[in-house]
Amino acid sequence: MSNTSPKPQGADADASAQDTLYASRRKLYVRAVSGIFDNWRWALVWITQLIFYGLPWLQWNDRQAVLLHLVERKFYIFGWVFWPQDVIFLALLLIISAYALFFFTAIAGRLWCGYACPQTVYTEIFMWIERKIEGDHVRRQKLDQAPMSGEKAARRGLKFLAWGLVALWTGFTFVAYFSPLEELLQAARTLSFGPWELFWILFYGGFTYLFAGVMREQVCKYMCPYARFQGVMFDPDTLVITYDEGRGEPRGARKKGIDPRSVNKGDCIDCGICVQVCPTGIDIRDGLQYECIGCAACIDACDQVMDRMNYPRGLIRYSTENAIKKHWGAKDILVHVLRPRTLIYGTILALLCAGFVWGLATREPLRVDVIRDRAALAREVEGGMIENVYSLQVMNMSEQARSFHFSVSGLPGVTVDGENLIEIGPAATQSVTLRVLVPYDSGKPGANPIEFEVRADDDPSLSLREETTFLFPR
Amino acid sequence: MLKWIQVLWPSFLIAAVAEAVFFTVIDPQELYLFGEPVDYSRIATYSIGFLGFWLVCAASSLSTIFLQRPAKEINRRT
Repeated sequence: MSNTSPKPQGADADASAQDTLYASRRKLYVRAVSGIFDNWRWALVWITQLIFYGLPWLQWNDRQAVLLHLVERKFYIFGWVFWPQDVIFLALLLIISAYALFFFTAIAGRLWCGYACPQTVYTEIFMWIERKIEGDHVRRQKLDQAPMSGEKAARRGLKFLAWGLVALWTGFTFVAYFSPLEELLQAARTLSFGPWELFWILFYGGFTYLFAGVMREQVCKYMCPYARFQGVMFDPDTLVITYDEGRGEPRGARKKGIDPRSVNKGDCIDCGICVQVCPTGIDIRDGLQYECIGCAACIDACDQVMDRMNYPRGLIRYSTENAIKKHWGAKDILVHVLRPRTLIYGTILALLCAGFVWGLATREPLRVDVIRDRAALAREVEGGMIENVYSLQVMNMSEQARSFHFSVSGLPGVTVDGENLIEIGPAATQSVTLRVLVPYDSGKPGANPIEFEVRADDDPSLSLREETTFLFPR
Repeated sequence: MLKWIQVLWPSFLIAAVAEAVFFTVIDPQELYLFGEPVDYSRIATYSIGFLGFWLVCAASSLSTIFLQRPAKEINRRT
């Protein structure tokens, strides 16, 4: 890679673009920051992680409240039990998430990335541990450059250990969403995990460690697909983290307490703290960049500097392209939140959510598949009756055992022979064999349409009709 | 590092999607392996399935970056 020509052309330009991507990464020593947006981020860290680490411990109806039970192929989510047939709800949920992302991105940029993305949240936790053990950004850099010593080894070892424990706990929690927590705890006591459970705990934990401890901003820069297409949801009225160039430039150092205009300077004192606190290592003063994850650390940092200089806050702030250009205030920005793009995203999002809720509310906890017995098509039995045998796959999707009545209609004199009240266990599928009898003269030779009705014994409103055919001998 | 990411990461994402779609539609217990019903536990089948999808997708990513090598890199003699 010794291409030193000043301006590569054509195919070479591509190659050199790749070369720069392969350039070894400059390790970032991110300076800690405090302020409103940092508090928001920590609030979100607490909320998301209390939910993530806590949910598997909740109980509901004497079982784990949230369990995506892969072995049983059933998803338990509080009062609901979802089956593979309910995949439409999962699909809807994914589409809702996508539209929520579009909606919030159109209004205020990368809110998700800056506050709620697991990559941000775990990086925040891992950096907090790093800071507690190795000190601030300056001491960390010194420690990196220092030759190996007892203290360095101890601090490093302690950091890796603390990271490892958080990562392992995260991996364990992740697996507890798919495999019952109780069984996992039992296995943990004797360290006798199933091979695959152990594999997934180490896999998820290992990647948490790698992404949050080692790779950090590279995940956002090189791996995140959203970072690549988020630009299409932006428009000139989207709130993004903006450096107010008109107010800040020309930047430069000056004595405290003097009016910057008197020395021909803007409000930016060029202290560089906004760059030091940036988790992706960019300079927000260069304008909006795809690397910016919208974490607002630079806003918090700059506001503190402005306070110290006795300048008004907001040299770096959430603003829109139009607001900066046209010198709008907060009210104008708010008015422009309502615009065709946000209204369309918002309407679609609201409709999808309504559909999801409606679907959940009207979801029948009963499903029936009728399968004709292929072995014995139609049989003449005593009393001048024709018999057909059916196998009904009945799914009781509710969490209590239920008895169901089976009846049949569609032909004169059609009846179900024998027992027609059958109990099916909670959240269970059962195959029910039914013999249906019809007087020989009440249908035509060949197939005749009939209809089964399955009705819950305890709740007459819960019923289902399923069509099938009754065969007469030719 | 970047080459590793380019091979392993997109294939991981697509494998996750493929896994979800495949096993939503197909119950692992309905699968046959060399004419015999699959008798691994479901967790094992899901896991092997995922790693299999990942491997296939990674092979595709690997061929992509292999064929994407610029002329300069191929012509260069070491």
